[in-house]
Amino acid sequence: MESIREFIAASQHPHAYARALKESGTAIIGYLCSYTPEEIIHAAGLHPMRLFGSAEDISLADTHLQSYCCSLVRGALADVLAGNLEYLDGAVFPHTCDTIQRLSDIWRLNTKFRFFADVVLPVKLTTESSRAYLSDVLKKFRMDLEEAFDITITNEALHDSIQTFNTIRDMLNTLYEIRSENPSKISGRDLHGIVKGSMIMDRDAAAQALVKIADELRAEAAPPAPKRKRVLVAGSVCSHPDVYTMLEKAGAEVVWDDLCTGSRYFGGMISTSGDPIEAIAQRSFDRLICPAKHKSITIRGENLVQAAREHDARGVIFLQLKFCDPHSFDYPYLKEFLDSQHIPSMLLEVEDQLPGEGQLLTRFETFVHML
Amino acid sequence: MRTAGIDIGSITAKAAILDTGKILGTRVSFTGYNVEIAAKKVFEDLLEELGLKAQSIERIVSTGYGRNGVAFAHKAMTEIICHGTGAHYLNPRVRTVIDVGGQDSKALLVDENGAVKDFVMNDKCAAGTGRFLEVMARAMEVNLDDFGALSLNAGSPSKISSICTVFAESEVISLISKGEVRENIIAGIHDSAASRVYAMAQRIGATPPIMMTGGVAKNIGMVRALEKKFNQTIEVSDLAQVNGAIGAAVLAGRL
Repeated sequence: MESIREFIAASQHPHAYARALKESGTAIIGYLCSYTPEEIIHAAGLHPMRLFGSAEDISLADTHLQSYCCSLVRGALADVLAGNLEYLDGAVFPHTCDTIQRLSDIWRLNTKFRFFADVVLPVKLTTESSRAYLSDVLKKFRMDLEEAFDITITNEALHDSIQTFNTIRDMLNTLYEIRSENPSKISGRDLHGIVKGSMIMDRDAAAQALVKIADELRAEAAPPAPKRKRVLVAGSVCSHPDVYTMLEKAGAEVVWDDLCTGSRYFGGMISTSGDPIEAIAQRSFDRLICPAKHKSITIRGENLVQAAREHDARGVIFLQLKFCDPHSFDYPYLKEFLDSQHIPSMLLEVEDQLPGEGQLLTRFETFVHML
Repeated sequence: MRTAGIDIGSITAKAAILDTGKILGTRVSFTGYNVEIAAKKVFEDLLEELGLKAQSIERIVSTGYGRNGVAFAHKAMTEIICHGTGAHYLNPRVRTVIDVGGQDSKALLVDENGAVKDFVMNDKCAAGTGRFLEVMARAMEVNLDDFGALSLNAGSPSKISSICTVFAESEVISLISKGEVRENIIAGIHDSAASRVYAMAQRIGATPPIMMTGGVAKNIGMVRALEKKFNQTIEVSDLAQVNGAIGAAVLAGRL
């Protein structure tokens, strides 16, 4: 399908896509975390661009960061130091984990972009005071953008942007549901490319294209569902489309995920009525959280079990970036939670490159055999 | 029904032939660079030794890192599954299997039927595997077969703090130049390798009885060092090295 290829091309060559966009006159703001208030950036007429970090040579980052920092952060720093992100007009760093926070300082001291912002989000998403605080942080971010780019971000523009991002979220959710219902309709690898592409491409173009893809997939006659075991992938960022194909080779289909390059990105819609900033803040309270945020002691375990049950997944594969503290801290409790529900799981720690194929297939095949 | 299991590891190729669940014979040879040739050779040599014809073997399962290169096998299954099945075949009471081979170490939990319940495998690093011990034996100029036994004569094992094989080798060389007693250094090397395997196995919560399989199970120094870590006896069969091939042959009977 032509529109799918557009997303995959953007996901494979994000810098080329961004450079072309820049040439058309759009200013670009980079970000690393799914808690970034993209709607505010978009409403300012700027392009929010998720950074996934270089997978080629991350040695430049080693001058600034210890080897126990995750490959996402080291890769992003290596990219900017190597001059690969010259198209950026700035970057925003929501405070999620300590490593991203440290990256923010190193970035600020070593780059010369027009715009830089730390958006220090609350960790506890349960109290009225944190809601009020989050709204204030978002208002300040809006003002910072207005000042830096000498523009006014109107409430009307914010409402329009909310609409665009709601369409993207709704359509990504639809595509996930279509795949969960019958994985033959769209491959895990393609869907991964679509989600990743949605964080890179022009959002208005992405929203339109997603509606089209969803319509076409719905209308398509369904080939029979493959006889593979259904699994769910959980973790932080997945930048490895090969994982999906290797799992298929091992006899499993990824039918859902709990990833910030997946369901955590598109989960939770924003209200289109009332104050737009309050509405954007509210989504952080409604959406599925990552381990850097708190709602309750067991909410992530409950969500994971519920997603596995809803999508009839027989096992869970934890795909974690090595040295990712928040996810590693949560892993033992999540595993226990799954064990108590008799849902088998396996842990796969990855860096910028996947482990050798032979080793990985041995683990995948054994796990799939266990299910 | 006669079945065979072919286990192509990184260093050695193993074959086992079973007749209605009874072991007829096993064999070990070096893998070399060509998996297909290694598989054929170990299988044909075993057939010849047993005076059997290839046609008399009804089902063959291949396993090990070279499992997909064994064209004459009916099915390929991972060595983790096969070691679980093999250990259960040798002793059905076993609940944890520690398999240390040439470049991989694995720990797996098996249920009362020999099915794998959970597993963990070394990923980034080969410290704690057979290759680590080989490198160290070479640095100590000791024959690999005597390496483990020598460690048992240590008065006070040396401390090897580096995890990396290359750094650990440098540490060993400095200990040698300092004049440290050879047996103490060798015991230190085994303690270091055992620590890696122990830490990995604890991630899945190793439960007794524990059986050690794979080529490194032939190293008594490693078995004793692991027993010290786990604070319990570790069972080792004479067939530890061919356990994966036996498991594959058992599974071939269920195809």
